[in-house]
Amino acid sequence: MSNFLEIKAAGAAAAIASVMIAATFFGAGFYRAQGENVGKEATPPAIAVNKGKALFAQSCAPCHGKDADGGEDAPSLLKLDISEAHISLLVHSGIKGEMPSFTKKYSDGEIESIVKYVKTLGK
Amino acid sequence: MTIPWEQVHGAMTHFPIALLLFSTGCDFGSLVLGEQLRRELRRVSFYGLIAAALGSLGAVVSGIAITQGDLWGRGDMLRHHQFIWPAFTLLIALSIWRLIVRDRVSRVGLWIYLALMGLASGLMAAAGYFGGELILRGG
Repeated sequence: MSNFLEIKAAGAAAAIASVMIAATFFGAGFYRAQGENVGKEATPPAIAVNKGKALFAQSCAPCHGKDADGGEDAPSLLKLDISEAHISLLVHSGIKGEMPSFTKKYSDGEIESIVKYVKTLGK
Repeated sequence: MTIPWEQVHGAMTHFPIALLLFSTGCDFGSLVLGEQLRRELRRVSFYGLIAAALGSLGAVVSGIAITQGDLWGRGDMLRHHQFIWPAFTLLIALSIWRLIVRDRVSRVGLWIYLALMGLASGLMAAAGYFGGELILRGG
C-alpha cells in the first residue's frame, strides 16, 4: 500500500516538477525575447556608446582585439548572445582564470557604457 | 517603481540553500536517533523542505529578472546555472513527493528519498558556491 502511494506520488512529483521547469524556461525565454524587442526599438545613446568605445579600446581591446573579433586568449564579442545585464555582471565580476574584474577600475556608469558599446557590435 | 532584483535575489536565495541542507541534515539525523526525536526531526525536515521549495520560487524569479531571461551564461554564471536547474527541479519534485507521502514511507522509499535529498543538497551547495563567486570576486 505504502509502495503504491510512493510510486503514485513520485509520478505526480515528476510531472509537476517537469511542468514547473518547462514553465520557467518558457517564461524566461519569453521575457528575454521581450527585452530584445525593446532593445531593437531603442537606440543606445551615442555619447554612452562613444565613451564605451574609448574604454573598450583601453581595457578590453588588448585581449578581445581592437575590432572585438577575438584575440589569442579571449573570444570574439561580435556575436555575443547574452543580455546587457549579464555582460555587465561579467565585466563587474570577471571570469575566474580568464578575465579580470573591472569593478575597481571603472564606475557603474562607465561599465554601462562599455556594455552599450559591446551590444552595438556585430549589428 | 523599480524592483531591486539583485537585492531581492540576495535576500531570497539563502532560504532554499540553508533550509534544504538543514532538512537533509534532520532527515539523516532521524536515522540514528530514538523514536520520539525521530518523529520530531522528520516533522522539522518536512516543514524545512516545504519552506525551501517556496523560497526557491522567489529566488528563481528574481534570478531570471537579474539575467533578463538568460538561463545559462558563461563562466561562473554558467556553472551556477548548471547546478541550480537540476537542484531546483529535484527540490520541487522531492517537496511534492513528501507532501503527498508524509510519514507513510517504506524503508526503500526512505533510502531513495534520502539519496536524492543528498544529491539535491550537493547541487544546491555548488550552485550557491558559484553564485557567491559571481558576487565576491567582483570585489
